[in-house]
Amino acid sequence: MLVFAASDKGGTGRSVTSANIAFHRALAGDDVCYLDFDFGSPTAAAVFDVPSVMGGIVQGGLHSYLQGQAHEPVRLDVWARTEHPVLRHRPAGSGNLVLFPGDRSGGEFAVGNDSVIRGIDLFLRLHSEFDVVLVDLSAGRSYAVDLALEVTARPELHGVGARWLIHHRWTRQHVIAASGFAFGPRGILSGGVARGHDVEELRGSMRFVRAAVLDPETPPWSLAPPAQSAWMRTCDQGLHRLAADRGVGYSAMLGSVPLEPVLQWREQLITDEDVFSSRVAGPETLKAFQDLAGKLTDDDAWGIP
Amino acid sequence: MAGPANTGERTEQSPEPVLVFGEVHTCLLQHGQALTGRGAADLLRLRADERVRLSERPNLYVRSPDVPTGVDCHLPSASGAKVRAVGTVTARATLTEGRLLQAGAHCTVTADGPGRRRRWGHYLARPGVVEPFGTLPERDVADGCLGAGRRPGDLDLGAIADRTLTRVLRDRALDNQPPFKSQVTRLRWVALRAADGEGPSLERFTLAGDGLRMAELRLPAGIPAAAAAGLCHDLALHDWLLTTLVRMVERSRLGSTDGRDALTALRPAVDHLMHLWMPAARVDQPLRPLWEALEREPGFTRQWQILVQRIRDQLALQTAAHLQP
Ligand SMILES: Nc1ncnc2c1ncn2[C@@H]1O[C@H](COP(=O)(O)OP(=O)(O)OP(=O)(O)O)[C@@H](O)[C@H]1O
Ligand SMILES: [Mg+2]
Repeated sequence: MLVFAASDKGGTGRSVTSANIAFHRALAGDDVCYLDFDFGSPTAAAVFDVPSVMGGIVQGGLHSYLQGQAHEPVRLDVWARTEHPVLRHRPAGSGNLVLFPGDRSGGEFAVGNDSVIRGIDLFLRLHSEFDVVLVDLSAGRSYAVDLALEVTARPELHGVGARWLIHHRWTRQHVIAASGFAFGPRGILSGGVARGHDVEELRGSMRFVRAAVLDPETPPWSLAPPAQSAWMRTCDQGLHRLAADRGVGYSAMLGSVPLEPVLQWREQLITDEDVFSSRVAGPETLKAFQDLAGKLTDDDAWGIP
Repeated sequence: MAGPANTGERTEQSPEPVLVFGEVHTCLLQHGQALTGRGAADLLRLRADERVRLSERPNLYVRSPDVPTGVDCHLPSASGAKVRAVGTVTARATLTEGRLLQAGAHCTVTADGPGRRRRWGHYLARPGVVEPFGTLPERDVADGCLGAGRRPGDLDLGAIADRTLTRVLRDRALDNQPPFKSQVTRLRWVALRAADGEGPSLERFTLAGDGLRMAELRLPAGIPAAAAAGLCHDLALHDWLLTTLVRMVERSRLGSTDGRDALTALRPAVDHLMHLWMPAARVDQPLRPLWEALEREPGFTRQWQILVQRIRDQLALQTAAHLQP
């Protein structure tokens, strides 16, 4: 399955959340790859702790491949290359976890027919090898998003399932932006339809993911003084109403990741170790990532009977 | 292999061939069902002007017409020496039992050639042959062909094989619903001339990372390049089967998890892979001894049988557990 991670704004938690989803799928035994299509600011290597390719690789990455300068993009085995102290010992029963880095000076580029053909070949190839192909697209209606919409509309890819995760933070501005990004006149849905996607099918393959969510009902926020607590509840309810009105409500949401202090300071994977041994990260965060990883292919979550 | 083109033979104007090299990529066809002979023939019709070859015994095997690609570039070389060569490369795709897709490219290199380019007609009359400018440093070029760090712009048979493979995989007749996930494996191979009086031999067969394998053969004069390519396709096919089955058994966590899970994970092996093992089925008689050598060390078929037996035992155990009240 192809999974495209998109967002309207930068800093929505798109990369960190996606990397954690990929990690948890691989832990559960799936073969997973993560494509850093974030043309311009590739960060996945930091999250997976592969310092050698931090900020992208010099050449031969996804940008080179799509522009015809490399006939295969570079791939890195995360279990073998990571410097993360826990991940270096590949967990028993885990699936492959492969990172396809972007090029350091990749930047944006126009989507010509050649790069569409290369995109088709790439996604077909990865679909044949991996259970989950996670593609981190750059923020906004970038060329990367256009390429993904274009390629997935092509008849060559029929039978290859694609899903869209739209990441946003849990604020008024972010909710409004995410809704416009998905359903607005220049949004993904209309862009997809213009490229030949079926409107209902595409809408059905889109879900929202909230990151850094502050829940007034759970500690420490639930322990706030009554006035503050009441105020937070009112705001949160207002936000829920806004989200529902804009098509970003509960039924369109795949999952929600709490505000996690560890992630506030550091882009990283959240492991069992972080939660149960060193106890620096919250169990809810770990559970949120595991839930998201599970729901990715859970037909119920996608309204498939 | 049926009626190989006699590209290896010496002719008046063409110097003696001393090196054959190639690359073959192997993968599972991305389709829910195994293709019938007719479906496979449609898929592999890579040229309108030539027929697809089909044979049904000992297994269903379909081969595309040979597709020539004209080349004028440097050959890979381990020392970095620039060896320019001109001629054509032969690419083909095959489908075994409607399931296993292979795409390969190979060419024969002559011992020497003129220091300039001849008319194209000369090269076109010798499909699959390339001629170097001057004398071929064959050991250096053979090592370059097997080496991983190749210079951009050098003759890249892997790229030609890959293009052939992706072209087939892009076909809209395929539903992209393969019964299981698997990797593409790539076999790079070279065949140098055997010493006078020596028979054919397999000098090495090694596994590098990421599904890359390397083989080096020695062949006596008179063995056609197509026969060497046929052997290497057969090796690549069985190596893919073994690699894929090993990976499936690993992933199923056979012996450590709930047997029922393992069963689900291994089911595709039983349904789609086990009957494909047929070493040397399409290898020309003079090259069969090379397979026999591989059977002794590392023991391809022995490894395969051990895996198959483990899976069968597991199936039997599960069935027995199921029958218990
Ligand atoms: N659940 C969370 N709680 C707290 N901080 C988070 C959470 N998720 C992500 N962050 C932090 O937010 C910042 C932005 O996250 P990330 O880089 O994943 O966003 P992005 O959408 O990929 O951004 P960009 O557009 O720059 O690529 C990072 O510092 C990250 O560690
Ligand atoms: Mg990012």
